[in-house]
Amino acid sequence: MPGIGPRTAQRLALHLLRQPEEKIRSFADALLAARSQVGQCQKCFHLSADPICEICKNTEREKDLLCVIADSRDLLALERTREYKGLYHVLGGLISPLDGVGPEMLMISSLVKRVDQEGVREVILALPPSVEGDTTSLYVSRLIKPFAKVSRIAYGLPMGSELEYADEVTLARALEGRTTMD
Amino acid sequence: MELDVVENRLLLIGPNGVGKSNLLEAIELVCSLRSHRCSRDQDLIHWDKNEAIIKAAANHGDELQLELRRRGGRKAWLNEKALVRQLDLIGPLRCVCFSALDLDLVRGEPALRRNWLDRVVQQLEPVYSDLLGRFSKLLRQRSHFWRNSRNHSTHDRFALLNAFDIQMALVSTRIHRRRKRALEYLQPLASQWQETLSNGKENFSIDYQSGSVLQGEEDEHSWRVSIEEQLLAQRDNEERLGSCSVGPHRDEIGFLLNGVFARRFASAGQQRTMVLALKLAELELVGQIYGDSPLLLLDDVFAELDRTRQLLLLEAVGEKYQSLITATHLDVFESSWKADSQILEAENFKGFIDIR
Ligand SMILES: [Zn+2]
Repeated sequence: MPGIGPRTAQRLALHLLRQPEEKIRSFADALLAARSQVGQCQKCFHLSADPICEICKNTEREKDLLCVIADSRDLLALERTREYKGLYHVLGGLISPLDGVGPEMLMISSLVKRVDQEGVREVILALPPSVEGDTTSLYVSRLIKPFAKVSRIAYGLPMGSELEYADEVTLARALEGRTTMD
Repeated sequence: MELDVVENRLLLIGPNGVGKSNLLEAIELVCSLRSHRCSRDQDLIHWDKNEAIIKAAANHGDELQLELRRRGGRKAWLNEKALVRQLDLIGPLRCVCFSALDLDLVRGEPALRRNWLDRVVQQLEPVYSDLLGRFSKLLRQRSHFWRNSRNHSTHDRFALLNAFDIQMALVSTRIHRRRKRALEYLQPLASQWQETLSNGKENFSIDYQSGSVLQGEEDEHSWRVSIEEQLLAQRDNEERLGSCSVGPHRDEIGFLLNGVFARRFASAGQQRTMVLALKLAELELVGQIYGDSPLLLLDDVFAELDRTRQLLLLEAVGEKYQSLITATHLDVFESSWKADSQILEAENFKGFIDIR
């Protein structure tokens, strides 16, 4: 499992072995259910059990504000700040020829279509400040600019750090301090 | 292994392979987070161990610790406090390393001179590493893009290359500016040392031939815009050749002796003197900027310096710089070098021998 060292893994395994069989069975069922039922939201591509996710369904959210992130982990990080009231668009990765990821493999054309057709007023790019993140931001912003205002999260983050690890205060501040892309 | 450096000079004597260079490398690592010999931490850890630990205590009281781990990367401590940014370890102790690899600085390939200059700039500005890392990543992404570019439509290609160009122009501008500035600082110092080392006969100058055309006065915006134009202009060529021809990776640092390019026209002896002048200039510059003399690490270069150059070096280094020097035999040193030195002769100091 990512982020878990050998010692923690051992502790978790021993803990599981001590649980009653009933508990383990429902845990295993839950895992299976998650695997088979959780798919992608058809609008924003966030993880969702329904065709349209909770966030996209929520009528309280600002429909004309769109935040673009690399994957669902970043979305969850931004949701924890409780600062952002708009909708999201999950690209599913970053442009990186080194890893064989070209723009056509990401949810970029669906993003442009969404911005064009759904009357989006502003798009906030919240991609990590790495080479791949910047490449994707620059690429995407050129495509969207004819249709909406494009701004970018102003990171007070150290170069190279990923969005996921940024603490909530930094993220909330970054959302306020976004800059328009030229 | 524990070593107490009690004199201003430490001479480490022993046959090849006993670990002399290793010791200097450890010092270089804890001072600067990098090694001149090796770029992978895996190779810096004993083959049957999972980590290597380097600790250094400076006279002024700071305690530095760097831990290299086979898994999970590095960890750094300053005065027993774990550092969030490893770069913060750089500062309390500084060093300039002169190794056998530097001997080809004047006569070798351009990449050698770029690497040397990058090490100098990194000493002066640790964040420079970020710029270098970013640029090399951009180059690699770009060349991979060309390899598979037939999969993309022309429009996609154009848009993606634009995204690369914009970033490369900015990072290139910042690298060029820092390299140029460092050379402007080094030039008068190197030229002074060359004059001293050649008894006033030789004049040393530096010609920075940047891999992008830097138009007019130093200005981030205009340089950036102009480099973007240059990148666009070479794109067709790049498509044919598969490599980008504009940027700091194409920099050449020309060293001139009495006005002609030393790489081609200077004698081997003159070239060696120039290397010495450059290293002394580097030492002096780092000392000037930080107001504190850096350590001088001389790895295996003594045998390559004749009597006159050794004496001149001693005069230059004198009492001002604490130096740690390796050689295979004690007799390569002029007798005046041996005086007032702590001499450590090691047949084999592998393992856990306390050599205090
Ligand atoms: Zn959704």
